[in-house]
Amino acid sequence: MTSKPLISLLQAYGDDELILGHRHSEWTGFAPHIEEDVAFSSIAQDEIGHATNYFMLLAELTDDDADRLALGRDSSEYRNAVICERANGDWAYTLARHWLYDTADDIRLEALERSASKDLAQLATKMRREERYHLIHADMWMKRVTHGPVEGRSRLETGLSSAFSEALGLFEPIELEGEAVDEGWLPTPSVEMKSAFVERASNTLDELGLPTEVRADLDESAEFVASSSGDLIASPDGGDAKPARPSGLGGRSGEHSEDFIHLWGEMTRTYREHPGATW
Amino acid sequence: MRTLAATIELAVWEALATVPDPEIPAVSVVDMGMIKHVEVDGHEVRVTVLPTFTGCPAIGIIKQDVGAAVAAVRDVESVSVETTFDPPWTTDRITDEGRVKLKEFGLAPPTGEGPVLIGNIGLPMRAECPFCGSTDTRNENLFGPTPCRALYYCASCRQPFEQFKEV
Repeated sequence: MTSKPLISLLQAYGDDELILGHRHSEWTGFAPHIEEDVAFSSIAQDEIGHATNYFMLLAELTDDDADRLALGRDSSEYRNAVICERANGDWAYTLARHWLYDTADDIRLEALERSASKDLAQLATKMRREERYHLIHADMWMKRVTHGPVEGRSRLETGLSSAFSEALGLFEPIELEGEAVDEGWLPTPSVEMKSAFVERASNTLDELGLPTEVRADLDESAEFVASSSGDLIASPDGGDAKPARPSGLGGRSGEHSEDFIHLWGEMTRTYREHPGATW
Repeated sequence: MRTLAATIELAVWEALATVPDPEIPAVSVVDMGMIKHVEVDGHEVRVTVLPTFTGCPAIGIIKQDVGAAVAAVRDVESVSVETTFDPPWTTDRITDEGRVKLKEFGLAPPTGEGPVLIGNIGLPMRAECPFCGSTDTRNENLFGPTPCRALYYCASCRQPFEQFKEV
């Protein structure tokens, strides 16, 4: 049976891993410290490996090819959250995003371990064991930088203030989210995972004594729900019906930033110039 | 007297014991606990392999090498090699013999302790130096040259070394 909601889920999460993995790989040779050069290269390899596995499941369902799914799609066909495609900026922004993403990914994988898709549940269990290293790495650096020299802490705060609100885009509902939840592919709705994420991340920020301004964006950002037309609208309980399209949303319906267009061009160039090439 | 299927199965396991891990040639796929099972039906053999790390690019080569080794076994007419994450491969599956071989190769075997963060910067994964046996070692990096390796330094013999990561 070909399930469209399951396809939508695999596409969105596989794209997150692929695109963020590509961004991490851009640190190879450029990280501020040789051990971090090794670490980010290895984390990139893990994330791209996870994307490969999502795409292998997807390829089976759609009678497609994992390489084509990764590299042979038009730029409008990617469903990753916008935060994954943002340019690396400085290392502090990269660290903030790495910590936020891997915290979010842990919550997501914990849910997927209970997916009605046995293959996906088994893959999630496997990936989560590897992801422990990413979480520890990110936590360790959050602590080091927070308790280190003022410049590092100040840059981290700047990085967090732009990354935190955009990280909520990771929990923007996927296409056909309602069906994905009803059919058990996605055992926990995105909105619930988002609450768990905000609570967990906020607790860590409190423990680190990072200022509340870091989270100001978060409190202001409107709740979002998918309307029947698939458009994102402000949640009715959000009070004023502000047209809600805070920065960082839209990725799940294929709306991307300029940053993505550049990344896509570079990432898919070899594949586009030499279709069907293997390496 | 052994049945043909049992004879083939035994020979297949012997053949698999000669298939090296492409990135750590000192150990075989059997030492690594990567073979979930071997099923023999007449002259057809099905081997199920458990991938180690999901991002490990060696899995394609491993499938190919496993297929070729089994195809060369007497009385085997066809081979299929499949992979599964059920159960997930974990470092507990590495055999005792595999652990000895890893150490001889210069890689500290996994300790059975998962990674944990204590305090601000602690990375208290224990590793025994594969060269001098000292446990006065420190983790330099949770990551290394392949997804399955972490970097360490031995304060006793002053050598850098790598550990096969607990997973």
